[in-house]
Amino acid sequence: MSTLGGIPIHVEPTGRPLPSSALGAGLAAILSELASLLEALRRSGAESAIDLRSLPLDPDDLDRLQRLLGTGEVDIRIEANGESRIRETAVCGLWWTEHRDAAGALLAVLIEVARVPSILSAADEDLALGAIRLRADAAAQSAEFGESPHGTT
Amino acid sequence: MDLVDFARGTALKIAFVVFFVGVLWRLVNVMLLRHRQMLSEPRRSVGAAVLGGLKGMGSRSWPHPEFIKRTVTGEALGYSYHIGLFIVILFFAPHIVFFGSFAGVRWPALPSSIITIFAVITLTLFVAVLSRRLGHPVLRRLSNFDDYFSWFIVALVLVTGLMATAHVGGPYQRILGLHILSFDLLLIWYPFGKLMHSFYIFPTRAIDGYLMTRKGAPS
Amino acid sequence: MARPETEPTIGELLDRNGVSRRSFLKYCTAMASLLALPPIAARAMAAQLRAARRPSVIYLSFQECTGCLESFTRSFAPTIENMIFNVISLDCDDTLMAAAGAQAEKARAQAMEANYGKYLLVVDGAVPTADGGVYHCAAGRTGIDLLTDCAKGAAAIVAVGTCASFGGLPHADPNPTGARAISALVPGKPVINVSGCPPIPEVITGTFLQYVTTGRVPDLDEHLRPTVFYGNSIHNRCYRRPFYDRGEFAKTFDDEGARNGWCLYELGCKGPTTYNACATVKWNNAVSFPIQSGHPCLGCAEPEFWDRGSFYSPIPTARWGKAGEVSTAEAGTLAAGAALTGVAIGAGSVVLARRRISRLQRTPQSESETHNEE
Repeated sequence: MSTLGGIPIHVEPTGRPLPSSALGAGLAAILSELASLLEALRRSGAESAIDLRSLPLDPDDLDRLQRLLGTGEVDIRIEANGESRIRETAVCGLWWTEHRDAAGALLAVLIEVARVPSILSAADEDLALGAIRLRADAAAQSAEFGESPHGTT
Repeated sequence: MDLVDFARGTALKIAFVVFFVGVLWRLVNVMLLRHRQMLSEPRRSVGAAVLGGLKGMGSRSWPHPEFIKRTVTGEALGYSYHIGLFIVILFFAPHIVFFGSFAGVRWPALPSSIITIFAVITLTLFVAVLSRRLGHPVLRRLSNFDDYFSWFIVALVLVTGLMATAHVGGPYQRILGLHILSFDLLLIWYPFGKLMHSFYIFPTRAIDGYLMTRKGAPS
Repeated sequence: MARPETEPTIGELLDRNGVSRRSFLKYCTAMASLLALPPIAARAMAAQLRAARRPSVIYLSFQECTGCLESFTRSFAPTIENMIFNVISLDCDDTLMAAAGAQAEKARAQAMEANYGKYLLVVDGAVPTADGGVYHCAAGRTGIDLLTDCAKGAAAIVAVGTCASFGGLPHADPNPTGARAISALVPGKPVINVSGCPPIPEVITGTFLQYVTTGRVPDLDEHLRPTVFYGNSIHNRCYRRPFYDRGEFAKTFDDEGARNGWCLYELGCKGPTTYNACATVKWNNAVSFPIQSGHPCLGCAEPEFWDRGSFYSPIPTARWGKAGEVSTAEAGTLAAGAALTGVAIGAGSVVLARRRISRLQRTPQSESETHNEE
């Protein structure tokens, strides 16, 4: 175990035991689909996602799937015109993502397969805008104190 | 009005009428035509002959021991696909709903997956039966339009039914419409082709058995 | 009202309104989910949508109950702070606009003139055509006249609801007003049918969104409905499908099967012959849909759904009766009548055959073939 990557993340399963169901075939299909998406991510870096609302699931199945995947270590909340919650599952690389609108209504439920969910990373344009803004701020600051921003005093 | 509406409406009504008119026509015809007079001295009583008739229905439905080697393939094929057809026709849930809609009674159904398996097996046997008919030199010479057309129409109902359940070949209602329409055609053809055997087979075997016993021969 | 080419793109409008990249991406993820696109397509869609310009929309209502518009205004999409008004420009709608009477007529005329050849015409309701179209008149014009006029300059027409798509309730037998579907009245114009009674709100807005994003009429099925929403039958996407496959059916609305949530096929569910997104997009923010609430699908998104017998008679029922279904007595009477006719024909043919045999027996050359009398 010479590198950090060699340390596995192990999450203890918690919560109620899973109810047995006669409708398990759909869930099994989702799980094996997720497994192959994870392998694809590792192999080629291809990110993907499963749209849980497009699947003909029993209303209880979603709940069952969520408990099956468990809860991981990361829990992200985004405030962007309504709340988005991205929770890592007990399976690394699988992110349980829920987008809500400003009124709190659910817009989308996905399982994202990614090292980090893409919505988090800043876009190039935004980085450029950020840099412009900081430079402007810095210019404003230095104008206030009468110093050159690159001055060495 | 689309195909389904036509198939389960007007077309079904016409088929229904033709079926009943045709079946009764042919049954009455056979019953009332003059029969061959029995010239031999009666060897057994009428009671024994009736029993012989009942026995004949059974014994003639089984291969004769002497010919069993030659006929067993055909008989096994025939029996198998008949059983398959009965299961598919009588125990598929939508069929029960269909028959129940005018018969007024419904009965328990088998799971669709089991029905699908039976339907596929039956269709396979159907193909085997046709290839046997085409491959067998004697059978081929004996075959006429009726043999091929009756085969075709039953196979058509089977194939369209499988297509409808598997959702292939087009929108479900179009395939369902074709399925019901092919069943309507089957009903219309029924009294005039070999499918009529379903009405003749047991009475004729019984009558043969009766006559044989009356004449003192084994039934 | 004029919409010159300098009209800002949707992206520019969003930036102006301070909509962040993440909230827009989130919106696109929701819309991709709605359009049954793979979730990963949301990013491409976001790029396309940002570059697009809002089309002008003119909304007309004919023989309808306003249920479609009620549905439309309940879409979750516009609740993202007027998102829908950033995507389309609803320039004229008799029900929603503040203007009335002559002002409303003028507003429509202006919108049509300014965007001639480019506007999207949205119609709900069927149009009565009997007796010169007098069953729908507004501002001294018949509905058919108004539709023909507005259709001329439309880039495409969206028929919202089953009445506009297929005639719906006004078209039901005996159709006293001669109501017809929009697609039958605007020859040569691309028509998108968004059927349903009413259509799912998100399906209406999703269709607009798809049109705006791609700038063209989407892929349509044989009934001119967008295949993304109408490509699958309710039955194929129904969560109760496993019960159908296992042959487990509710027989009444209060039996064991109904309580266990079994398949409603035998209670008349039209799911197998109905193409719509109810089973996936669902209703009221994806809370439920009819089958989930324990009621069979009525098939409201299909042509002539009013004229197909009882909502509660299963799909494979014989229907030649007056009430749509064949009663056992009716079938029995018909069968008995047919059987008696068969007996009569059979008996008649036997008489003829016997006569022919007797005639043959009298001629000496046929003696060898003679059958003996019974």
